[in-house]
Amino acid sequence: MFFQKLSFPAFLVALLFCVTPVPCSAQQKAAPEKSIIRVNATLQDYSFLRPWEKGAPTPRRGLGAVLKGNRVLITAEMCVNSTFVELEHPSNGARVPARIAGIDYEANLAVLEPAEANSKVFEGLEALEIDESVVAGDTLNVWQVEDNGDGVSTDVEVLRVDVGRYYIPGSVFLLYQVKGSLQARVNSFTLPVVKNGKLVGMLLSYSSKEQTAGVLPAPVINTFLADLDDGDYQGFPNLGISIAQTLDETLREFSGIDKVEGGIFVRELAKDGSADKAGILKGDVILSINGQPIDARGNYSHPKYGKLSFSHLVRGGAKVGDKIKLEIVRDAKPMTIDVELTRKLPEDHLIDPYMFDRGPKYVIFGGLIFQELTLPYLESWGEEWTTRAPFKLVHANAEPHAYEEEGREKLVFLSSVLKTPSTLGYEAVNSVIVTKVNGTFIKNIKDLAKAFAEVPGDGLHTIEFDEYPKVIYVDDRASRLVNQQLIQYGIGLLERLE
Amino acid sequence: MNPPLPPLSRIALISLLAASTIPWNAVSQQKPAFGPLLKNAPAAPAAAAEPVVDIPPPESVQTDISEISLDAIVRVEVDTKQPNYRVPWNVGGMGSGNGTGFLVGPNRFLTNAHVVSDTRLIYIKKVNDPKPYKARVVNVAHDCDLALLELESDIDFETGFKGVQPLFIGGTPKLNTTVIVVGYPIGGERISVTRGVVSRIDFRAYSHSGVDNHLAIQIDAAINPGNSGGPVLQNNQVVGVAFQGYSGNVAQNTGYMIPVPVIERFLKDVEDGNYDHYVDMATSVISILNPAQRRALALPNDGIGVMVAEADAAGSAGGVLKTKDVLLSIDGHPIASDGFIEIEGERVDLNEIIERKFAGDTVNLEIWRDEKREEITITLKRFIPYLIQSEQYDRLPNFVLFAGLQFQPLDRSMMVAHNISELSTRYFYSYYGPDEIYRERPQVIVLTDVLPDSTNTHLQTFIHRVVDSINGKKITLLQDVYDALHGDLHEDGREAYHVVRLVGEERPLVLKRKDAAVAHERIKSQYNVGFDHFIEVPEIIKEEGLIKPLEPDAAPAEKKDEPAADAAPKDKAA
Repeated sequence: MFFQKLSFPAFLVALLFCVTPVPCSAQQKAAPEKSIIRVNATLQDYSFLRPWEKGAPTPRRGLGAVLKGNRVLITAEMCVNSTFVELEHPSNGARVPARIAGIDYEANLAVLEPAEANSKVFEGLEALEIDESVVAGDTLNVWQVEDNGDGVSTDVEVLRVDVGRYYIPGSVFLLYQVKGSLQARVNSFTLPVVKNGKLVGMLLSYSSKEQTAGVLPAPVINTFLADLDDGDYQGFPNLGISIAQTLDETLREFSGIDKVEGGIFVRELAKDGSADKAGILKGDVILSINGQPIDARGNYSHPKYGKLSFSHLVRGGAKVGDKIKLEIVRDAKPMTIDVELTRKLPEDHLIDPYMFDRGPKYVIFGGLIFQELTLPYLESWGEEWTTRAPFKLVHANAEPHAYEEEGREKLVFLSSVLKTPSTLGYEAVNSVIVTKVNGTFIKNIKDLAKAFAEVPGDGLHTIEFDEYPKVIYVDDRASRLVNQQLIQYGIGLLERLE
Repeated sequence: MNPPLPPLSRIALISLLAASTIPWNAVSQQKPAFGPLLKNAPAAPAAAAEPVVDIPPPESVQTDISEISLDAIVRVEVDTKQPNYRVPWNVGGMGSGNGTGFLVGPNRFLTNAHVVSDTRLIYIKKVNDPKPYKARVVNVAHDCDLALLELESDIDFETGFKGVQPLFIGGTPKLNTTVIVVGYPIGGERISVTRGVVSRIDFRAYSHSGVDNHLAIQIDAAINPGNSGGPVLQNNQVVGVAFQGYSGNVAQNTGYMIPVPVIERFLKDVEDGNYDHYVDMATSVISILNPAQRRALALPNDGIGVMVAEADAAGSAGGVLKTKDVLLSIDGHPIASDGFIEIEGERVDLNEIIERKFAGDTVNLEIWRDEKREEITITLKRFIPYLIQSEQYDRLPNFVLFAGLQFQPLDRSMMVAHNISELSTRYFYSYYGPDEIYRERPQVIVLTDVLPDSTNTHLQTFIHRVVDSINGKKITLLQDVYDALHGDLHEDGREAYHVVRLVGEERPLVLKRKDAAVAHERIKSQYNVGFDHFIEVPEIIKEEGLIKPLEPDAAPAEKKDEPAADAAPKDKAA
């Protein structure tokens, strides 16, 4: 645009000139460049195979939606493991470092604020209002911005409103499924989606082959913002069950639910999840939640969106601490159970299902590398981690109960062994779960660090594992000498306990 | 004494049977077991690094084979029948192949087990005689890939092999000495002779069973599919049986032969007419190279001893050896801290002592326990539980099919045929031995398939999981499945149903009893099921003391068997 190089007052005039003569068309064709802002992030993932390292920094550029109070809404994915985030005016190029005011990786949302004052960054920008009115069949506009700062708006059509996965596996939320043809542009990582000039969602993913995309919808954004605004972020609650459908007539008869409609069969309960704490048992059949009947596929009828997964009854608006009423059938007898909704944080799992913005916890002692097992560690074995990662660890992730029952808070394992004078003969040992160090049961990595800190009388540390090689010994002095050398060698930190 | 093999580990070695059913290229999709070959690698790094090895000049051995009667080296032609573990009532794939064998005694031909495994017909042909002689297997040892054949007709032998001298079994050849491989490999019909040197003598995986390691000799003579079972000669004596190699895109000029100690052990074992298999200590050890380890165990600093990590309870040393015991010597041979001993001037793995023993033999160990020397004697036996991970041959797949539900015992062939990735089932497969699963479940029964029918259409998503109970009966053998489904057994108050409960799955699989009977016949005809079960008594329950005594006739148990553990919450919601 020609006025890009003009000075500030001239620019303002030009803009006013643009807008004022045709106010009603501007109302309909809202200008993307007026309410979006470029977000430039630098991400640096932690290494799980070498936990003292971080990987190569990578840039990620997206667009944020401007909210009132100079806040910017983006997806959490946009600034995952970020080392530096800045906001950039879409056309004048003014930049300011940003700080993350709130982030939820499950809901995949984050709010950014300018970390310093720079009035030029928000110059001429207007906050977007948020609109929850989208239904299937609506036409929405995906906003992008050209290099030169021109706004681009692309129409997409809402195919259906559904419940689907965002960013964290196993974590599902409401989702608008849309269809349309989008072009890749810079700052295309996440894109605001609007209807009649109001923000209705953030574009999550786009399949150029299918020309379909998922949009993180306004109701989730509003819940996130409301939670954030009350000063005590709780996040989205979780029922903590996995279910089976009850379409099988024989099973219905067998379970004594053939005289009622619908219902979902509880297959699995997360330890200390909402359902577990409320006394739901495996094998219960849930017929309704808060009076909403659930069909045999696990859906209920949403007044606006039609059939939706029952999970939306928990995630779609309910807050941590809310009570919901479950009608269930247990041993062919109807019952009612009140469930207080809670949220199980990733760090409350034996094996963290995700971990961002902090590195894996580890201890290096004389060349032995111990870690707490996390799902990201397993995933670092690549796409086919379920077959490539050490089987015992993959299995522990799938079936943590036995380890939880032993009283473990975390699963500490020897991930690998650096060849040092202290670890002579143990080089081939790897991926084994630690049970005890110097006779102390290891519940988490801090226990392990503490155990190594106390030197036994004979100066030897005894490390026990649950399988081959069962037990190894290292010399305290030799190991500490090696620790010094490892630091000189470039391993900056020998432990990360927090 | 090696740690258990990883589940379904791909073995880069390939057997050298020239089977027309298995294209040579197709067998070798494995990744190289070695790193990339360096262009400038020294020609013989092994020899250069170990000057202690006495390398005689090649001229010192007789490479001439004129004293060998080529008539004693025969072509073994087979028609094969591959069992079908995916569709177990099917006859299986027919094919043919050929290998090599050689005369070792009156009407006794030695060849590889893999040449004559899963065969319907075996013919032996001489080099200059068009007549195929019908032959049969006398003894087969799948664990060391050897078999003895005989001509079915003694008259055939007397006429066809009149005056043919059996080959003489010699000794172990030295490194860098020339050996001659004779056989019938691909590339032509007539007998072929190739020559190379002994490159290495080491313990190696024998790919035929997939779970056994024995001494093997690597040679650089060209050995190819069809050479299998053929003699490797030196000084007019047999010094090995060619049996496996790498495909050309993995490693060049590496062929392997079964050395004389293994051959002699086999021939001795079958002298009584039966093959009794290898015995195993079933004990894992770790070297004692670390000074801290030595001090912790209060061992003198003499470079002797390896530490016991684990002794499998069902193995020979179960209940005898314990974690932290140190093995100091085996049958009088001091054990170095890396697990090697010296036999006849050669450094070999301490297992070599066990390798040469037979079931019921004893081994004397000097151990270090609680800072004291002790002498113990272990009576050796097979370690049966490891067979679950072994290739099976000359067997029909065991299964029970009922109303479209297909049940099979867990083993390697089944895991491969059904391509099972289900985590809980992989756990049972990998930890059957180490976690002593066999005590409770001598056979782990898997619901391998559900043949779709209106009665079972909702059950198909539950395949590949381990069965815990059927109609209240705990399933520990395939026979239990059959018994539970073909009688009056039922869960309490559930007379009208068949109830299958899976390990780690709360949702029961339920069939209406009256529908199931009808569906069973319908499915059998629809899916062309010739017979609906084949059940053999597994070897493991013949072994005494391995299995927990079963409660007297498991009556219909309580309504619900609590599954032990649970599986990945695939569709975790809310």
